[in-house]
Amino acid sequence: MPAEKPKKWKIQTDPQDSGRIKQEVNDMSLTKEQVAEHMKDPAIFCCRRQKGLKISEADLEDPAIFDDMIDAGLLKLSDDGLTIEQVLGTTLTTDVEALTPITPAVLDHVNEISAPAADEKPEETEAAAAPAPVPAAPQITTTTGSDGMIHIEIGKAEKIEGIKLDVPVFGGPAGPAGPAPVIPAAAAPAAKKGEKKVIRTLTKKHIKITDVEIGDETSIKDGKITIDKKLTELALKEDPLCKSLALDVIYPDKRHVYTDTIMDVCPIATKVEGELGEGVTKVADGVVFMLTGVDEDGVQVHEFGSSEGYLDERMYFGHPGCADENDIIIRCHAVIASKTGMTRPGPFAAHKCQDYIIQAVRDKLKTYEGEVVREEVCEDVRREGNPRVVLVKEIMGQGAMHDNVICPNEPCGVFGGQKNVDCGNVPIMLTPNQVRDGSIHALTCIGPATKEMTRHYIREPLVEGLAADPELDLIGVIFVGSPQVNDEKMWVSERLGSLLESLDVDGCIITTEGFGNNHIDFIQHIGQAGKRGIPVVGVSFCAYQGQLVVGNKYATAMVEENMDAGGFENNIAGCSCITREVAARAIQMLKNRMAGVDIKPAPKKWNNDVINANNKLLGLPETKLVESGTLH
Amino acid sequence: MLTTVEGMQSEIFVPVTPKPVFTELNKPLSECCVAFITAGGIHKKSQVPFNTSGDFSYRTIEFDTPSSELMVTHGGFDNSDINKDVNCMFPIDRLHELVAEGFIGSLPKETYTFMGGGGNVEKFRNVTGPEIAKKLKAQGVDVVLCTGGCGTCHRSATIVTRCCEEAGMSCCVIAALPPIARQQGAPRITAPHVPIGSNAGEPNNIPMQTAILKDSLEWVRDCPSYNQIKVLPYEYRHNV
Repeated sequence: MPAEKPKKWKIQTDPQDSGRIKQEVNDMSLTKEQVAEHMKDPAIFCCRRQKGLKISEADLEDPAIFDDMIDAGLLKLSDDGLTIEQVLGTTLTTDVEALTPITPAVLDHVNEISAPAADEKPEETEAAAAPAPVPAAPQITTTTGSDGMIHIEIGKAEKIEGIKLDVPVFGGPAGPAGPAPVIPAAAAPAAKKGEKKVIRTLTKKHIKITDVEIGDETSIKDGKITIDKKLTELALKEDPLCKSLALDVIYPDKRHVYTDTIMDVCPIATKVEGELGEGVTKVADGVVFMLTGVDEDGVQVHEFGSSEGYLDERMYFGHPGCADENDIIIRCHAVIASKTGMTRPGPFAAHKCQDYIIQAVRDKLKTYEGEVVREEVCEDVRREGNPRVVLVKEIMGQGAMHDNVICPNEPCGVFGGQKNVDCGNVPIMLTPNQVRDGSIHALTCIGPATKEMTRHYIREPLVEGLAADPELDLIGVIFVGSPQVNDEKMWVSERLGSLLESLDVDGCIITTEGFGNNHIDFIQHIGQAGKRGIPVVGVSFCAYQGQLVVGNKYATAMVEENMDAGGFENNIAGCSCITREVAARAIQMLKNRMAGVDIKPAPKKWNNDVINANNKLLGLPETKLVESGTLH
Repeated sequence: MLTTVEGMQSEIFVPVTPKPVFTELNKPLSECCVAFITAGGIHKKSQVPFNTSGDFSYRTIEFDTPSSELMVTHGGFDNSDINKDVNCMFPIDRLHELVAEGFIGSLPKETYTFMGGGGNVEKFRNVTGPEIAKKLKAQGVDVVLCTGGCGTCHRSATIVTRCCEEAGMSCCVIAALPPIARQQGAPRITAPHVPIGSNAGEPNNIPMQTAILKDSLEWVRDCPSYNQIKVLPYEYRHNV
């Protein structure tokens, strides 16, 4: 093969959009659109420039990437370096190398800027997008044109003359109307004051269960569930990939038992009135199913780490997705066909067969009139006039346990639901009540610590927190899958972006379980909100092992879920998930963002002190990390 | 009105793209010794499987190992494609064909594979990466190709590839998730339209696997500068 050098390939990613591969060269210098928001930032040449050049924005490096360049050792800022507004239009008196701060020594003159910049954020008002007017001698006119541009004309200044700058309003693509400004939350329409309007009510009756037995018939009597052991044989008919099932009961005081990897924790809940999200649901209190599994060769059915081991060490009891301290655990152990553990049908077979057994218990629970320990009333409400917010939950959609059943017939069930992978992972809107009524059956993926199991969704702290908040108007919960293919990730994320725009939300919180490839989508989703001017808060496990693999400029209000001392996926089921504290921090950050209250940038390394400082500000308990000794 | 709280700080940082590293290839591909490494969890059936929740150890694979003796241990993606044909992650059979065809000069005696999912960044950067690079360099390797696997695999793959580049070999990450390879600072990147789990092309599709390899090798030769992506025109969808 001749080693012929081809012409320069014109392919590069869009610096504003880490996921998008653009088919054109796009050097990193500033554009007219960008210059408005960077007038006060340091002026650095993007490439070597020669004596005599009249400096324009195209000669300057994009300040958005300075932090990274400084960290990478590519750039050193200078104390006598000038700002962009001080150098635009001036002339270079000597040759200067790339990535060099521009100082007075290399210019014929420096633009005098006597007024400090307005404190307002550029997007808050139209005028603030322009450089601060210079009050003294220079004659400057600033007009907002019908083309969406701010035209600045400096008729005469002390040392410069005749400079014209056209700056688009808000830095977005210019059009006759321009993008809509973000309305500060406080300035919401005065007519409506956030009165609560109830759309529908769901009553969850928590029925006391005090004992469980595997016996010869299925019944619930005097607080005791008995499960017919023959169900383990009958359930196998549901799916030929499931080869055997075994049930046993683990009491709260006997947790130090060996367990195979925990595939899921699933409540026993059933509809007695209405559809999912309304009417009456009964939930067995004090008992949960726990699905464990291996394949015929004894290989654990897990993905990113197995939680096999002693149960008391392998589950974070009390976290939303887990069993509570005092729960009786009905362990359903499945053996599935050899080598099907890391494929899509194998683990699903185990979930399907377990659901057959749970359904038999549900059928008994429907008519069991036991003690109601708690009656939980959930409302889908509108609070018109309050900031409209939406919760986006990114769920796994890569197949093979990276999958979820959405809206099954019964709460937390399998039968009758659709899998998000089969739905193309497109965004699907549920009401808060539907989520709280068990609309998601998790086929659970990623590591044990960071996956959201079925029980997590029926008592999701962010859904509960946002729905209950009288200052907000939670309009719904969007579930969006994370596909396997990069192009599909981008495609799905764009659909989410359009949805967010059309919902006209004032803010959103975006969460993801797991870490790694799904962080591409996660960051992309944050970008979809961010570029539309929608205040956005991201919530994920990142810490050390899951540190973000991509990023963008909108990921600046972020909440960490980690609870492992080393910042690792520690194989403790449900350890590093959304807790009440995580939810409280996320909701507060969103309010700050919507109200324009500053959130300080994250330090460049994961640090639990930052998390605890936030906890302290909000009066939350300290986030205590688990010393798991994990280091891999 | 919204309740606000002053003084909150964002808790998660956005990654930094590291400094450029680039070794130009100065001889024809037909004279090059080409190694292939992977973060996709490939190992010999006789070897200890990787810990799927994170593992910075590596396995030594002799290039004369029959592909039938290789398997995958990886929790980050559907394994069914690799179970069908290990060449879709680690195209060992295709590499032998490229030597026979004269497209590349030779293969080293052995190569090194790891499971990059959830990979410990510091360990891969300071221990595993430099060790693999040293061992490849000692065998006279000129070119290193690498597949990722899952998301954090692409991070680990890129870290190890950068170590190889720093050791004076010319490298390319064949990326199913090009944004990660790019942000993490891969010297060169090719991007076929494939799902994670079949990063080197559709299982048992020999022409596609060969084309992805050849295009990636040519990109090692032709890529003009650090961190450039070439999007490859091959598409495979895995209907999981």
